[in-house]
Amino acid sequence: MTATANAIPTQAAEATSVGDVVLDVQDLSVAFPTEEGLVKAVSNLSYQARLGRTLAIVGESGSGKSVSSMAVLGLHNPKRTQITGSIKLDGIELVGAPQSTFQKIRSTKAAMVFQDPQSALHPFHKIGKQIAEAYLAHNKVSKAVAEKRAIEMLDLVGIPNPKRRALQFPHEFSGGMRQRAMIALGLVNNPKLLIADEPTTALDVTVQAQILDLVNDLQKEFGSAVILITHDLAVVAETADDIVVMYAGRGVEKGDAKEVLAQPSHPYTYGLLQSLPSHSEDLTELKAIQGSPPSLLNLPPGCSFHPRCDFKSQVPGDACWTELPEWRPTPGLANRQIRCHLTDPVGTLQEDEGVR
Amino acid sequence: MTAQPSTQTRAAADSAAKPLLEVTDLQRYFPFREVQGLRMVKATVKAVDGISFTLRQGQTLGLVGESGCGKSTTSRLVTRLDEPTAGSVVFEGRDITHLKEHQLRSIRRDVQMIFQDPYSSLNPRHTIGSILSTPLKVHGLHKGKEKARVQELLELVGLNPEHINRYPSEFSGGQRQRIGIARALAVEPKLIIADEPVSALDVSIQAQVMNLLGKLRDELDLAFIFVAHDLGVVRHFCDQVAVMYLGKIVEYGDKKKIYEAPEHPYTQALLSAAPDINVARGIAPKERIRLIGDVPSPIDPPSGCRFRTRCWKAQDICAQQEPPLATSVEDTTSVRARRDRGLHLQACHFPEVKTTLVAEVPAEPVA
Repeated sequence: MTATANAIPTQAAEATSVGDVVLDVQDLSVAFPTEEGLVKAVSNLSYQARLGRTLAIVGESGSGKSVSSMAVLGLHNPKRTQITGSIKLDGIELVGAPQSTFQKIRSTKAAMVFQDPQSALHPFHKIGKQIAEAYLAHNKVSKAVAEKRAIEMLDLVGIPNPKRRALQFPHEFSGGMRQRAMIALGLVNNPKLLIADEPTTALDVTVQAQILDLVNDLQKEFGSAVILITHDLAVVAETADDIVVMYAGRGVEKGDAKEVLAQPSHPYTYGLLQSLPSHSEDLTELKAIQGSPPSLLNLPPGCSFHPRCDFKSQVPGDACWTELPEWRPTPGLANRQIRCHLTDPVGTLQEDEGVR
Repeated sequence: MTAQPSTQTRAAADSAAKPLLEVTDLQRYFPFREVQGLRMVKATVKAVDGISFTLRQGQTLGLVGESGCGKSTTSRLVTRLDEPTAGSVVFEGRDITHLKEHQLRSIRRDVQMIFQDPYSSLNPRHTIGSILSTPLKVHGLHKGKEKARVQELLELVGLNPEHINRYPSEFSGGQRQRIGIARALAVEPKLIIADEPVSALDVSIQAQVMNLLGKLRDELDLAFIFVAHDLGVVRHFCDQVAVMYLGKIVEYGDKKKIYEAPEHPYTQALLSAAPDINVARGIAPKERIRLIGDVPSPIDPPSGCRFRTRCWKAQDICAQQEPPLATSVEDTTSVRARRDRGLHLQACHFPEVKTTLVAEVPAEPVA
């Protein structure tokens, strides 16, 4: 907890129109003290989510993508977590904010859709009741009105026969239907920000397409900001506007989602894309990134990616081993930032792609 | 139904003689009791309902489909971890369909399995050395030299042979999957069933493990049944692909045919649903077929064609008659041309046959 712990939430200008910043994360670090030492799950992460746009946070497991978003909704136990930096949701500072603040913003300003709807929905309560409850918590209305609202929401997310479905339990829903109900629950209070944490990973590919379409349609309708946490780059290519690529708790590349995937300028992003089977359909061997991600207990000095990087020899001196690269604009690319020591990352990676 | 030897494109002279694995009309029904009102009613889940395929040495068959379509049950039947209700599994000319546990020993040596989750498929209380030497002891292989063999195996899968005394918890997910692969290879099998071997791994690790499997397949001339829902991985790894839906194979054929000219509507929908990374490169997103709803329950599958409830082409005949798995081309071409094209079977009353694609497709110009 930081010095800002007791600061009164500042009511800055609220985001209202498309493109306005809803969520401004600056220099966010999240660490968990354990018996073996401090696990630095997220270090100095900065990003912004804007109304009407989808921001993809991409990374492998343990890269800190979920941990950073859970901090936005105050889902970490404050006693066991060290959070520093700043998270401004619609002008309200959330780092160090009391639980009462989080209770106010959850569902009304920001909501989350989890990966596994089976475990995120309460198994003993009817779907309709769970959605109505979220609505009642923030609106002074009668139960009947809230239940009607729940049925409306189920209808909105494309659940057939919503009146009957509202009276069923989660186990009576299929996986795709449960995820739809989860989205209805997330959107019931019209939040400005929807965080979808691997929303389709547990689903089949035909159902995944349905859910992604639904999120896109709803975003158009509500104009809210969406943060899509995923490891699937193809999903990003089809749905996201902006992207932050994370590695070992840090952002390593950010920019326009399609541009980044079309022309990556960080060796890690490049390596991820190269390792996809779709990239080398007729090759016998995939271009894998060597090694495995580092332990968050004991991050390598300098750039966290250097032990797995093929390009560190092209950086003069031993900067990759000793110096943590700072954010800087990618030379030669507009609207792109990377954390890498390469002097000409675009040229270096292009040359490599040509050679391969 | 069965792949005819004469139509195999890559049938080498020797392998044409005898297939490694022949599966014919395989069925697995799970009976159970269900409460209906105040009565208990007998019901059956038809997990696998009459599938047939053939596999030769060194060949790789990909089984794809959504969850609940019977992919995993099929692999459990082929390995005889489970006993089929009907049909037959013939391995190297020997019918293993109803063999007893003690008779299965030799099959266990020839057919091995790689599991999806490397966290639950390794015993956390056993060292790597013990995990890898157990199959050797069971089959009495490399007697007295087990340790050397284990170290050789570790090296084969790209792990440090000195780690023989470590426990699974000391390894990362990718490394554990390598251990699972080494365990499968320990007894020198001829056929490996890999059930979603990379889906629990991170993207950057998936490629490493896929490369390892590919290398081992080529070096050791292994046959693979590769169960996966990731169509990209299957496309990379497999020669033949069988698309399953509700316990049946709906389309079967050469990888190239299935991916480039799918004929069954379900295959088309499945392929079009997979998101495409090339969209970022300015390639227009493909026309997406939106399937409505979920896979119906295998307890009471739809009559006729099982896909008809979600199919946009469905007509009356689809509810009345079950379409057989057969070739859709009214063949006017010569036998030779047919063989060159490779076998392509589908089960649909209204398949989409792209005649333009029947001619050999040149290597696709992917950016």
